[in-house]
Amino acid sequence: MSAVQVPPGASPPSTAAARRHRLPVGELVVVVVLAGLGVFALVEAHTIAVPTSSNAVGPRAFPYAVGAVLVLSAVGLLVALLRGERGEVEGGEDVDTSGGADWAAVGKLTAAFAALVVLVEPLGWPIAASLMFGGAAWALGARPWWRALLVAVVLNTAVHVVFTRVLGVYLPAGPLEGVVGLG
Amino acid sequence: MGDLTGLLEGFSTALQPMYLLYALIGVLLGTAVGVLPGIGPAMTVALLLPLTYTLDATAAFIMFAGIYYGGMYGGSTTSILLNTPGESASIVTALEGNKMAKAGRGAAALATAAIGSFVAGTIATVALSLVAPTVARVAVQLGPADYVALAVLAFFTVAAMLGASPARGIASLALGLFIAVIGTDSLTGQQRFTLGLPTLADGIDVVIVAVGFFAVGEALHVASRLRRGPIPLVPISGKGMTRDDWKRSWKPWLRGTAIGFPIGTIPAGGADLGTFLSYATERKLSKRKEEFGHGAIEGVAGPEAANNASAAGVLVPLLTLGLPTSATAAIMLAAFQSYGIQPGPNLFAAEGELIWALIASLYIGNVLLLVLNLPLVGVWVKVLQLPRPYLYAGILTFAALGTYAVGASTEDLVLLFVLGGIGWAMRSYGFPIAPAIVGLILGPIAEEQMRRTLAISQGDPTALVTSPFAAVVYVLVVLALVGSQWLKRRQARLDAVVFAQAQRDEERLVPTGGTSAEGPSRKDHDSRGAR
Repeated sequence: MSAVQVPPGASPPSTAAARRHRLPVGELVVVVVLAGLGVFALVEAHTIAVPTSSNAVGPRAFPYAVGAVLVLSAVGLLVALLRGERGEVEGGEDVDTSGGADWAAVGKLTAAFAALVVLVEPLGWPIAASLMFGGAAWALGARPWWRALLVAVVLNTAVHVVFTRVLGVYLPAGPLEGVVGLG
Repeated sequence: MGDLTGLLEGFSTALQPMYLLYALIGVLLGTAVGVLPGIGPAMTVALLLPLTYTLDATAAFIMFAGIYYGGMYGGSTTSILLNTPGESASIVTALEGNKMAKAGRGAAALATAAIGSFVAGTIATVALSLVAPTVARVAVQLGPADYVALAVLAFFTVAAMLGASPARGIASLALGLFIAVIGTDSLTGQQRFTLGLPTLADGIDVVIVAVGFFAVGEALHVASRLRRGPIPLVPISGKGMTRDDWKRSWKPWLRGTAIGFPIGTIPAGGADLGTFLSYATERKLSKRKEEFGHGAIEGVAGPEAANNASAAGVLVPLLTLGLPTSATAAIMLAAFQSYGIQPGPNLFAAEGELIWALIASLYIGNVLLLVLNLPLVGVWVKVLQLPRPYLYAGILTFAALGTYAVGASTEDLVLLFVLGGIGWAMRSYGFPIAPAIVGLILGPIAEEQMRRTLAISQGDPTALVTSPFAAVVYVLVVLALVGSQWLKRRQARLDAVVFAQAQRDEERLVPTGGTSAEGPSRKDHDSRGAR
């Protein structure tokens, strides 16, 4: 390539090559998981009860086929991997593919989502979803935290009203039950 | 009922003020969400699905038509105005518009995209109205074995066309098929892969899988590799299309339509192939080949038209055969099923009123998009500037909302996040998402038809291939597999050429020292010599 200058943010050409030589642990894990899923499908398919009334092809055939395809694709991927082929990170408008994954951000996002799962029934949608949105936005770099929370509260209150009042979808209101417009 | 009468009745339904309002809301929401970076048409449709849960079927599908076309349209605004220098060569077709915007012709690029979308969308919708009822009449004669063959064709083309290698596409497809098997077997009532969990006994709701893979997966993917710093937006400049622009655009629009619509109707993995073929055609036919990669208006007009025409084309197999050929179509099929409607050859007879209203609202949606989008471009620019932390937190919120709205179950939320994690892993290692979605939706249909075939033939597997139609389709499968690899190599080669050209162009435009127009370019040569 005739890149004269490496623009800021782009990976220098050497990293791609360096990645290629390193053992692709992540991808090996993917292959193992895929193969494991296939074996699981094959074994589980064997335990599916077949009613005597079922004709020619019962409920097992398709699961067997799916298991076989999973195992075969895992083998195919392993062969490709050993031949030096590497999967490329999917690009996108907001994605910086040069660095590695930021696990801390993903961890915080997971925590925010877990909070929603735990809190949505006791505290209701407006509060639980606001905490999730605020937490997720903060984890992704929204500052100051109170502005993220403010946006979250306004958005989720509006969402709650529109979905429960206008669209007739059920969402729990939690302690806000009885507050005009919400519950 | 004649087709024309049907269409006219469809218009009389869709033009009722209430339904017109739903079409308008659909178009606006679809475009707004489609404009958001990182959100493709499939995710737009999946995320907005919950809005239609409580509407009656006609209103829901009129809104859906708007969301579908709006989502398709929104993407082009993003690629023209958002300057994210490509790591991914696959955005090359989007690159021309971006280059035009940078060269001060953003308004012309937006206009040729909008008008091209309108022209292509309208012609393709006319074609859809003509072709679909005819295909449905022929398709009535297809037997279960023929459907198995069609499903196999869709599986293999989608898996082979998308993704870096066929193995990755097939792995993704198999994952979708696996998820589809989870639950209770519809024919015998036996539980499969449920691990005894009651949540899994009914199977996993398609909406949860789609939203998990697309929305949560994308949010996690971006969160893990967020591009920091200001949003690199290109300001809109220029005066719209000149007479010369019109002259250079109208032929690519028509050619794009002619390429896009047929490509949409065949299982070829959605709009990507049509877009690429149109781009390659325009580049070949152009007398100013050197402009390609630097902002050639033909390179915006043609692919944009092809993209929209194939969006209409995709509806032909979807409505007449119940065969989704792209992820977006698969999610639309799920939406139909949630209303208890099974698309297929009998659809025009059984649900004629609804389908013609849907088709009529496609025409209306196209007009609305043309009328609204150019004046509203300022709003879309604002949408593009949405701070990214809020954008992705919002995607996560709406994903959770849509899932919770399906069944008010927190177990579904956990499932959603787990599926999102899988979607993230797939994106991190270059697995395409679309084959999984197509497998998920088409898997159960394929299985049922296969078992029906074998039940009729009393277990004789040759029944799967002895129908002449099925035999022809299996030959096509082989051709498609070979052809798709050839096409992908060609696409990669063209992408590389254009991309390199654009890169060189970039270096010339961004002055290293920044004196005169001549200075940087000479410097450029010097330093290249030094390397």
